[in-house]
Amino acid sequence: MTDLDLARAWLVDPASGREGPGDIVVRDGIIEAVTWLEGIDAEGIDAAGVVVAPGFIDLHAHLREPGNEDAETIASGLAAAAHGGFTTVCAMPNTSPAIDEPGVVAGIRAAAIVSGSPLELLVHGAVTVGREGGTLAPLGELADAGVAGFSDDGAPIRSGSILRNALAYAGALGLPVIDHAEDPDLTDGAEANDGLVATVLGLRGWPVAAEEAAVGRDLAILADVVRDVPSARLHLTHVSTGASLDLIRRAKSAGLPVTCDVTPHHLALTDDWIAGSRRWAWEASVDPWDVAAREAAPYASSLRVNPPLRCPEDALACLAAVADGTANAIATDHAPHTEVDKAVEFGLAANGISGIETALGVVLAAVDAGHLTLLRAIEALTSGPAAVLADRSRRARSVGLLEGSPADLVVVDRADSWTVTRERLASKGKNSPLIGMSMPGRVLLTMAGGRIAYEAPSD
Amino acid sequence: MTDLIDGNAAADVVVPSVDAAPDSQTVGWRHRHLLDVDELSTADLDLVMRTTDAMREVLARPIAKVPALRGRNVTILFYEASTRTRVSFEVAARNLSADVTNIAAQTSSVSKGESLVDTIRTVEALGARMLVMRHAVSGAPYLAAEVFGGSVLNGGDGWHAHPTQALLDLYTMRSRLSGGSVAGRKIVILGDVLHSRVARSNIWALTAAGADLWLCGPTTLLRGFEAWAGRGAAGGRRFHVTADVDRALRDADVVMALRIQRERMSSGLLPSLREYAARYGLTAARLALAQPGALVMHPGPMNEGVEIAPEVAAGAQSVITDQVTNGVAVRMAMLYLLAGVSAAGAAP
Repeated sequence: MTDLDLARAWLVDPASGREGPGDIVVRDGIIEAVTWLEGIDAEGIDAAGVVVAPGFIDLHAHLREPGNEDAETIASGLAAAAHGGFTTVCAMPNTSPAIDEPGVVAGIRAAAIVSGSPLELLVHGAVTVGREGGTLAPLGELADAGVAGFSDDGAPIRSGSILRNALAYAGALGLPVIDHAEDPDLTDGAEANDGLVATVLGLRGWPVAAEEAAVGRDLAILADVVRDVPSARLHLTHVSTGASLDLIRRAKSAGLPVTCDVTPHHLALTDDWIAGSRRWAWEASVDPWDVAAREAAPYASSLRVNPPLRCPEDALACLAAVADGTANAIATDHAPHTEVDKAVEFGLAANGISGIETALGVVLAAVDAGHLTLLRAIEALTSGPAAVLADRSRRARSVGLLEGSPADLVVVDRADSWTVTRERLASKGKNSPLIGMSMPGRVLLTMAGGRIAYEAPSD
Repeated sequence: MTDLIDGNAAADVVVPSVDAAPDSQTVGWRHRHLLDVDELSTADLDLVMRTTDAMREVLARPIAKVPALRGRNVTILFYEASTRTRVSFEVAARNLSADVTNIAAQTSSVSKGESLVDTIRTVEALGARMLVMRHAVSGAPYLAAEVFGGSVLNGGDGWHAHPTQALLDLYTMRSRLSGGSVAGRKIVILGDVLHSRVARSNIWALTAAGADLWLCGPTTLLRGFEAWAGRGAAGGRRFHVTADVDRALRDADVVMALRIQRERMSSGLLPSLREYAARYGLTAARLALAQPGALVMHPGPMNEGVEIAPEVAAGAQSVITDQVTNGVAVRMAMLYLLAGVSAAGAAP
């Protein structure tokens, strides 16, 4: 089994709300000792060096198996997750066939075991049969098979009455309904955020109202359901606009059982990138129409994603929502695609960003810029999503640097950086808009369930 | 010789000798591709105008043909049905003695045939040195330019850009307006701005040339343009957006009507063609609001009786057939200028 002796690191433990200098010792895969250093022992240790945190939990990843193994497999997806510092991954059910019956869940579990990965793989079941929005999938059987939640992600739950019934039924099972909030009438044919960039580039606009209208509807239905079924829970995933987050903030303060996540790309990248910018949302923008200031060619299809990259104000609202807790989690919406689906015209490209390996770097860039504390950022990657998963995850029950529990942790060198290249991505999906860019912080080691899941090459 | 845009010094511009093979060094052209007008400086635009003058001279000769592109393959790859633009490029290329290959291609997001990237590699392997491309998806020529070893000329992409149309529009206005310049002139683009690549490219070209540009149409077909107008094109060059057709047309020097397509009705953007014609059609009565002798333009093909009345389209103020002739000259100029860069192997 695995041993680790890490002295004089910066420990971050959101479960206890604590960070600071410390030593950590792992023996035979079990965290034997966590020693917080103080006074003279702590001198010269800061958060800018080696950081140890609980392994990250991703509420939302597309692992493509079964059905699209050219884009990703359970094995390659879990390897990519480990490279990104994640030790628990929730697979979304928009596979082929969809994860709408227990047999598919069992097949995915088997693939995870065969992969040999020590990561914890959780599975979200579909809300409706075939994710077609018509009739409810066997939610009870799926719950018995161990799913962590229900989602038709990739598409919204179009019917309000289906959503209402799903919330009520899943609520009795103790599981959340995870909705991709989008009014499909307003996004028919849409290509990019409805704003200046889309107008100038001639791309079909994807209005913020399409998300906000759906979020408003979902919250109204949730309020209706909880009167009958107090255990009903709604989780809104990849929320991308400031007004959506305001609605959720208000609903939470009114006591509604709603949680949400934002993605790394929606809090840091903007639609200016489609015009050729490569500046973070919080950096002073340059006129993307100044051809001399273009940092990349326009229309990079790696930037096509649903929901679309928004304007800087919306990205900063996503960051603020993480900072104030409105967003419970940062989830990657890791969406690997093949070259066949991505090396095409922007408007014909599949939606999605391969992002599980760059999530930490993007979040650390926001931390470095002062928009998030390191503790809050790590919380949104660990105990925040754990609370959404409740008791479905072994990790959710013990997230933290806890003596006596199996080591689920990530060691990051914040003094180092790495350049994203196709070769460095373990994911089969090379559809990252960050290829060629330098990411702050390098994962040195990921341990899951007491075993080494990823170890940086010693070059 | 026409006047200069923005008063740049004439002496710096070398007028190309278009009978000879092109050479980018002597004429000062540096772009490998023509993807949109936003990439062109005012000096670039001026060089295009002067080169077009030279091409007009060629077109006036008894044998309207020069050997400038002899032995060079120009492939015309159109993913969208078009007769006018395709033929215009073809005539332009033949007038320069290029070898022309025509390809009509199909594309669909549903039935995946050969990818654009594969098609580009194939036509290059077949000898294409310059690629004229039209595509229904905005931005497609940018993908082509990443793959293709020669020069890409955008012949229209989605709603985004139609640079040679904007250049021929600018050329036509300059050659017809007294003083030979659009600077300070009120120019109105009337109609379906939202879906128009012609309007978008003209925003860059006409604001760069100092025009007082107005975009006018029903609010549903102007969505987003108010924000663009407020921010301005590059360098903060402002323009105007209004749904008030009388206000737009009053004292205009040029009125360009845009084609209205039937599918705008099915998508709920307009109640009916009849209502559009009544409220926004360029009729003789509306044209009377403009300056006497104001130019009437249309990028074609026209729906006469909808966005433009037949008597206006064929009237004395119409320069629509000029646009077609100038289109050949501008496309000759662009092929010539880009060929000089391709020959020199310059950076994009």
